[in-house]
Amino acid sequence: MLSLKNVSFSYESGSDAVKNVSLEIGDGEFIAIVGHNGSGKSTLAKLLNGLLLPTSGTVTVNGMDTSDDDRILDIRRHVGMVFQNPDNQIVTTVVREDVAFGPENLGIPTDEIVTRVDSALKAVGMEKYAESAPHMLSGGQKQRIAIAGMLAMEPEILVLDEATAMLDPIGRKEIIGIVRKLNEEKGITVIMITQYMEEAIGCERVIVINDGSIVMDDTPLAVFKRGDELRSIGLDVPAAVELREMLKTRGIADCGDAMTIEELTDKLCLSLLKN
Amino acid sequence: MPIVVEKLTYTYQAGSVNAFTALKDVSFTVNDGEFVGIIGHTGCGKSTLIQQLNGLMLPSSGRVTVDGFDMNDKKQRAKGRALVGMVFQYPDYQLFDETVYKDISFGPRNMKLPEEEIARRISEAMRLVGLDEKEFSDKSPFELSGGEKRRTALAGIVAMYPKYLVLDEPMAGLDPSGRKAVIEMIEGFRKTLGCAVVMVSHSMDDIARSADKVIVLRDGTIYKSGTPAEIFSEAEELNEMGLEPPFAARVASRLRKQGVPLPGGIYTNEALADALSGIKGGSADA
Repeated sequence: MLSLKNVSFSYESGSDAVKNVSLEIGDGEFIAIVGHNGSGKSTLAKLLNGLLLPTSGTVTVNGMDTSDDDRILDIRRHVGMVFQNPDNQIVTTVVREDVAFGPENLGIPTDEIVTRVDSALKAVGMEKYAESAPHMLSGGQKQRIAIAGMLAMEPEILVLDEATAMLDPIGRKEIIGIVRKLNEEKGITVIMITQYMEEAIGCERVIVINDGSIVMDDTPLAVFKRGDELRSIGLDVPAAVELREMLKTRGIADCGDAMTIEELTDKLCLSLLKN
Repeated sequence: MPIVVEKLTYTYQAGSVNAFTALKDVSFTVNDGEFVGIIGHTGCGKSTLIQQLNGLMLPSSGRVTVDGFDMNDKKQRAKGRALVGMVFQYPDYQLFDETVYKDISFGPRNMKLPEEEIARRISEAMRLVGLDEKEFSDKSPFELSGGEKRRTALAGIVAMYPKYLVLDEPMAGLDPSGRKAVIEMIEGFRKTLGCAVVMVSHSMDDIARSADKVIVLRDGTIYKSGTPAEIFSEAEELNEMGLEPPFAARVASRLRKQGVPLPGGIYTNEALADALSGIKGGSADA
């Protein structure tokens, strides 16, 4: 379990990027954290595995305090991070070696590493590319390798800090599909920091950050009913919600709580048939 | 006078075993003031293509002319290049000077404009991108947020008064309000400066809203080109190519499959709502 108690953080230059945030994230949860550029969401992500330490307050991972120097390596093994730029996260010239880099640093025996690398590559659907050169892969494939590198360390929590921002729509869907599977099949806690509202739809819980504070913490259904509030802090609602709102305002159809294209078209058909 | 691309072919590492032809026999025109959207799957040759528009890369065969200046000719290239403003992906990573003002002034200063003209253009560019001159001029680019950096980078290009503005994924990495702001800024540049725009983007909704003409690249060739209505009405075809059609086009396509009698050519929420309200009105009368 991940727990933040009254956490604040300020960079040297000035005001608090994260302000008095308290938050509990349970094992196996699938969470999206959304906020506009500069809202503090990436700072919050880096506080989760001790890449940044709180200016005040505490962050604990399974009871271990991130400001405890003796536990920091243990914490980083528990909390894997995948960042935005795929090119900045690759360190070797062969995919297999890249995935093995983390567990090697943990001092894990070689035969165990081989097993872990194989299973991590399989989990992200990249087993065919084990001997490939990472720079020949697409952005989406590179991000899958970065995720595999984290999986090989067998983390309990995976934090994706805008890991899909530089990918095309297909690459984005691939990554979301893979982390969803890891959450469902392996029970890994997933925390996705994102600016794409569509990616928050399938999560159990959406946390909205503005100006360093949590302003909403609820199900996607409840959060996306507050479209005007989201827009007022530089965010948006998923495309299906936007269309749903428009059709309702214009008195054309009431599509209820539809958030996905499937839900929307099903509700629309029903509503049109009624007339 | 337009940008004319004629039978452009480009091969990386030509003559070697690794030779790879990224563009094959590509021809199109960018007319004065026109907004051309270029779409295609990752690896289709979009980025290679736009780098030919200002002569950063030169054709293996074929020709690019910018207002009649042949980009294959070294002397003419400089004149052609001066008309084309290029904004690469993540231009915010390319900021380098001590202050926002100096960074924006870099381009106009290289054009050897008089000092008062430089100052005037910087004021105008900062206004167009929505950066307050007093507040931001003396700031270091490194103190800025992602959206502010993007604005600074755009201002630097706009201050050169390009006749053609070429943008590679200008909205990437920005939050929803930032994406909207950038699209509105580009519209503003067109209105104020009268420049033509060539924009590469994965966001079909943005291209659908703004472009006069859309070019679909596939495996280095032009698969199709036309108005947004012509390109985006065929949701299935785009899906097959690994592109995500505008949301309204996808909804319309699903509804047609479910038996709702929608006309073709729907790719905006407004058009979809109008068509649905027509159907609803019609069935109520019956």
